[in-house]
Amino acid sequence: MRPDQGSVLPALEGRRVAVCVGAGGVGKTTVAAALALHRARLGGKALVCTIDPARRLANALGLRSLGNVESRVPEETFAEAGVRARGQLFAMMLDVKRTWDDLVARHAPDPARRDRILGNRLYRQMSSVLAGSQEYMAMEKLYELATDRDYDLIVLDTPPTAHALDFLEAPDRVLDFVGNDAARRVLAPALGVGRLGLRLAQMGGGYLAKVLARFTGEGVLEDLGEFLHNFQGMYEGFKERAAAVRALLARPEVGFVLVASPSHVSIDEAVALHGRLREEAIPVAGLVANRVTPDLWPGRAPLPDTGALAGPLVASGVRVAAAEDLAGRLARTLAENQAIAAAERAALDRLFEAISSPRVVVPRLESDVHDLAGLARLAERL
Amino acid sequence: MNPPSLLDRRLVVVTGKGGVGKSTVSAALALLASRAGKRVLVCEVGGQERVAPLLGAPRSGATTREARPGLFTVSVVPGAAMREYGVMVLRFRAVYDLVFENRLMRYFLGAVPGLAELVTIGKILHEVKMVEDGRPRWDLVILDAPATGHAVQLLRVPAALMDTVPAGPLRHDAEWMRAILEDPGRTGLVLVTLPEEMPVNEAIELDAQVRDLLAIPRAALFVNAMPEARFTLEEHRLLEPLEVDGEPLGPAARAATLQAARAESAARELARVRSAIDLPATVLPLLARAEWGPEAVDRIAAALATAAGEAA
Repeated sequence: MRPDQGSVLPALEGRRVAVCVGAGGVGKTTVAAALALHRARLGGKALVCTIDPARRLANALGLRSLGNVESRVPEETFAEAGVRARGQLFAMMLDVKRTWDDLVARHAPDPARRDRILGNRLYRQMSSVLAGSQEYMAMEKLYELATDRDYDLIVLDTPPTAHALDFLEAPDRVLDFVGNDAARRVLAPALGVGRLGLRLAQMGGGYLAKVLARFTGEGVLEDLGEFLHNFQGMYEGFKERAAAVRALLARPEVGFVLVASPSHVSIDEAVALHGRLREEAIPVAGLVANRVTPDLWPGRAPLPDTGALAGPLVASGVRVAAAEDLAGRLARTLAENQAIAAAERAALDRLFEAISSPRVVVPRLESDVHDLAGLARLAERL
Repeated sequence: MNPPSLLDRRLVVVTGKGGVGKSTVSAALALLASRAGKRVLVCEVGGQERVAPLLGAPRSGATTREARPGLFTVSVVPGAAMREYGVMVLRFRAVYDLVFENRLMRYFLGAVPGLAELVTIGKILHEVKMVEDGRPRWDLVILDAPATGHAVQLLRVPAALMDTVPAGPLRHDAEWMRAILEDPGRTGLVLVTLPEEMPVNEAIELDAQVRDLLAIPRAALFVNAMPEARFTLEEHRLLEPLEVDGEPLGPAARAATLQAARAESAARELARVRSAIDLPATVLPLLARAEWGPEAVDRIAAALATAAGEAA
């Protein structure tokens, strides 16, 4: 490792949870897997959990697929990749629907209530379609893993959201939905008569309800009424749990790792996210500037032209007839590399100015990371 | 019946993994269509506007704004879309205000799952449907869709609602939206990917989801940022040992082997995505610049025009 590239690994030593955040397409999932692999190589029991619906992680770990329970990366995969690990590496992919169902089952007072909720049409839609549901369940699962299991390190890869901040706000939004006092007040009279199906005419604020029905159709309101009715009494449990999750995130054994690529879009997101985390008093443990074009011509000396390269090429055995043409392409390629490196450097300076956490600059790898050996090389860079 | 060529459709949905260049492709397609004399609207969702800045124009926000002659952009956000939708359903703004300025009611509407997505996709499809002075308001609407998972969520809402919602206005809307989305005469979905392993895997998976889950007509595959095959395999091998040379040859050889390795891996991934996805593939060049702006969009548009010319 080149010392001037920095490292985020010391900042993660002793942490039990690492949460990787950042814009989509910056290599977050691979960084998450590499962090877990690093701990496993040092002798720890490490888990990487992705909520990425595109199942990228299984690819990188050579696993056929990942499920809602942890599966151990087999020793043969390590052997084949020539990677030695004293500890163990586990991986899983969050199943949002299953995690919701588990959550409901845990909080439901009896099996009948549980089944009514699981069978409710709105619940089924909420658990798969509701925006923020995925992020909420990721936090929920993280809490479960962090409190019920004995991992030395859990690395959570967050979803490629349009707003990287969603995962902080999602629990509140989803809790609003299941514990909506306002909704309950509108529906209360109907619920009070003890019927699950609700008659709009009986509702308080009957006019509003009628207008609303024009929007949604009456059946939706009935479903919502039934849904809220069944969630009565469970809301407190949910809320306590969400508060516990939030408290977990601020604990010192949890470290957030911001991943950014040197594009302006990704850097804007990282800076915004950093600000938001600070508001929430959640410290950023490390910053990974990923996929950075290497500076191959440091210093201020002018870039070599065709003539300056043709000579050394001939000296290394290239035919004179071919040397000029090859030297021209070499000069152009180096110049392009340097132009991109300079533009990226300027973008990254903005990032480093805004965020002073321990950081590492990871050069764009020659080939994509798609196996354990590649992950191990990436881990060494971190 | 042959499906119409991409820009002759009424709605083009641009999808792909985050960071593959969806906005650049959307901007370039819009530029081509507007240059052909079409009135074009680019819709972005998720609140981050990229297309207008890429075209060198100010952001439009939630109100449609002309970025180039005949080329308009708009950022579709649930709040504003909800209001438009509300006025449409309730017919009268006064009624809408009465209902929607009621905090209780707003809260309540926010609680109906999928409604934010529905009004978002509803607003966009409404633009597709709008007729003014006997002709469509837009010849072409381009949806710069969010990254993979969220795009599927968004595009799935009309069909999902039809499964869950009983007869009523919501279902009625879901029906006409679905009719537009699934009509190969009007709608085409473009998959954008990069010639790299993970983005290709994701594109293959997204393509399967589009086929199995969405029933939106698939129209084209764009492989973006394809590096030029600048060095032969033989040259690549020759240059590798020269990396350890001093300046100037060492660094130049290093830059060249990095470029060559990238180009070789890209060629493999291009072949893989081509054989896995049975759509006409258009290859767009990797531009040697780190920043994106009108010039980059112009070059991508030119590459698209060339590709379209070759296909015709």
